[in-house]
Amino acid sequence: MTENSLDKEQQIVNHLVGTFQNLTGKVKRNRRIEVSIEKKQITSVLNYVKDHLGFIHFSHMSCVDWLEDGYFELVYILWSPEQKIQLLVKALVDRENASVENADMIWRQLNTYQREIREMFGVNFIGMKGDKEFILEDWDNMPPMRRDFNTVDYIQEVYFERPGREDAQNVRETISKRTGEEIPEVATKYSRD
Amino acid sequence: MDTNSWISILGFIATVVLAFTVGVSYGGIVRKITARIQNRVGPPVYQNFFDIFKLYSKSTAVNHGWMQHLGPAFAITASVTSLMFIPVLNGQGEFWFANLNFKGDLIFLLYMMVFGSLGMALGAGQTGNPNSAIGVSRGLSQMVGYEIPWVLALVALMLQTKSTSITGIMDYQIAHGTWMMFESPLAFIAALMAMLGMFHYAPFDVTFAPAELSSGPASEFGGKYLAMMMTSGSIFAFVKLALFVDIFMGGASNLIMLVVKTFLLYMVPVLYGIVSPRYRTEQSIRYFWGWPTLIGVLGVLYVVFVR
Amino acid sequence: MPNDKNSQKIVDIIKNAARKHSLFVLAYGTGCGAIEIPPTMTSRYDAERFGIRGMATPRQADVLLVTGYLATKTLKRVIRAYEQMQDPKYVIGFGSCTINGGMYWDSYNTIKLLDKYIPVDVYINGCMPRPEAVITGFIELQKLIAEGKADGATKYKENLDWYRANQKKVIKNWNMPDYNW
Repeated sequence: MTENSLDKEQQIVNHLVGTFQNLTGKVKRNRRIEVSIEKKQITSVLNYVKDHLGFIHFSHMSCVDWLEDGYFELVYILWSPEQKIQLLVKALVDRENASVENADMIWRQLNTYQREIREMFGVNFIGMKGDKEFILEDWDNMPPMRRDFNTVDYIQEVYFERPGREDAQNVRETISKRTGEEIPEVATKYSRD
Repeated sequence: MDTNSWISILGFIATVVLAFTVGVSYGGIVRKITARIQNRVGPPVYQNFFDIFKLYSKSTAVNHGWMQHLGPAFAITASVTSLMFIPVLNGQGEFWFANLNFKGDLIFLLYMMVFGSLGMALGAGQTGNPNSAIGVSRGLSQMVGYEIPWVLALVALMLQTKSTSITGIMDYQIAHGTWMMFESPLAFIAALMAMLGMFHYAPFDVTFAPAELSSGPASEFGGKYLAMMMTSGSIFAFVKLALFVDIFMGGASNLIMLVVKTFLLYMVPVLYGIVSPRYRTEQSIRYFWGWPTLIGVLGVLYVVFVR
Repeated sequence: MPNDKNSQKIVDIIKNAARKHSLFVLAYGTGCGAIEIPPTMTSRYDAERFGIRGMATPRQADVLLVTGYLATKTLKRVIRAYEQMQDPKYVIGFGSCTINGGMYWDSYNTIKLLDKYIPVDVYINGCMPRPEAVITGFIELQKLIAEGKADGATKYKENLDWYRANQKKVIKNWNMPDYNW
């Protein structure tokens, strides 16, 4: 972790900041860069880093729900096999009627991730091909991975519950009281209750 | 009807019962042997009787059309009819359980043995299950494979004994005091290699491959139909073994000899199968069209030119 | 042999004895439970000595072994497989996921109680149950069959409306064929 080893990362950040407007970036640590962009820049930034900076490998795409701020944050994780650097491209999207430009022409496998995010968060990718249903079948409720989707209410409404579970008692404690078994300290320390 | 007809009808029934018992018991013994080779305890030897009895006691509510109902019936008809042409035992110059026999019954049997598979193929085809369709096409392709060495071996026998009936070949063996497997060994080897495919044990179990085709042609047949197929398979196994014993090993003079000879013969495909993985269809056909066919042709040439 | 409603006829006793000793299993491998089936069937635990044998299609099978959590999407397939099986048929629920949801109790897409959707004859608890537990479950089922008490399929036919209502509650787009058993 010498100072020298971060030069490469800093150069890339400086290069990107110089190239794109409204782009902020920082070196998170050795071999990891994080840049935040606007949502209309997504395709151009992804294209640019793929073609010119060697981030040819698409690792993952995910979505974070910032419910309080009213944003979805799309995170594209890229990898440069030459420079051995991981690049996180983050873009904020409004929660209301969230829609982003489709980017699956850059990496075809992005299509799978985008379909999952469309299904689980309700982010609309404009111009994306692929069936509306991906993992869920006949889902007619709010997209389930949104944080304002109340899972417990939903399962109590739709599914049955085995009686005896509603008081959420500590089963282990009850059994130990009945049988006189001593619970080891380790078990209580890491218990959820 | 006179007494002889009644005796022959009783003979038919006794033959079917014998074939069923021996065939099903062999199936159980094979499962036991397989288990022992895999270092397991294995099911009891009478397990297959339980299986068949249970399947006959199940309901069968599957309807895909009338050919589907006829398919298992065709299979069991073909098995029983083939059995009728096999002389089970040979005594001193006379044949017990000789049942139906006429000149040229070996050629008739060649067709009859295919009939059951074709009936099953039609029945399985109507179920509309894609696994069945693939299984049927694989099975028929493989049949084209092993029929060639098998027919070549039989042609060699027919040429040598100047007879196209099974009893004729058995007569020849008794008259010459020898077995055809020593008289014309090349034909025997070709027929034995074809037999590996006839029994559908690994590596030639491409038709019923449970792991990839979910039991192929049988996949839509449950309950009583599956029981009929298992019954027919057991009887047919006995038919093939008894035929081999009759034409290559001089027949059997009593039931114990029959059981010993058929069992030893049965162990060839079984033991070869237990230690083998599964061939692909084209590998299987290539196998049969390779050495077995060559040996069969050599067997015919040997009979024509040498003897 | 008294022939009142609570006792079996002699024919039934013979039939049930054969059924008991010959269980063809359709292992519906959902979730992590599928990995417990190969050791149960192979050399180490050898379920075949009890007459338990794997079958490839529902048409041929007697026992449906549901080995873990069921997403609603999977439940649809399980119901189809179950309805294609031929009578008499039995269901074994395997693992705590089929009993009360297990660790997926708060999942939005996983059913919690299997016996509200298809009739379950025997439950095997544990997460995961070891092969010994699986074999014990099968022996329990064999006992029930011998006593003539494994009648889940009959219950299913009698209470079909109740089961269908429960099934349609989670499977919204119900486009399933009717099987004529």
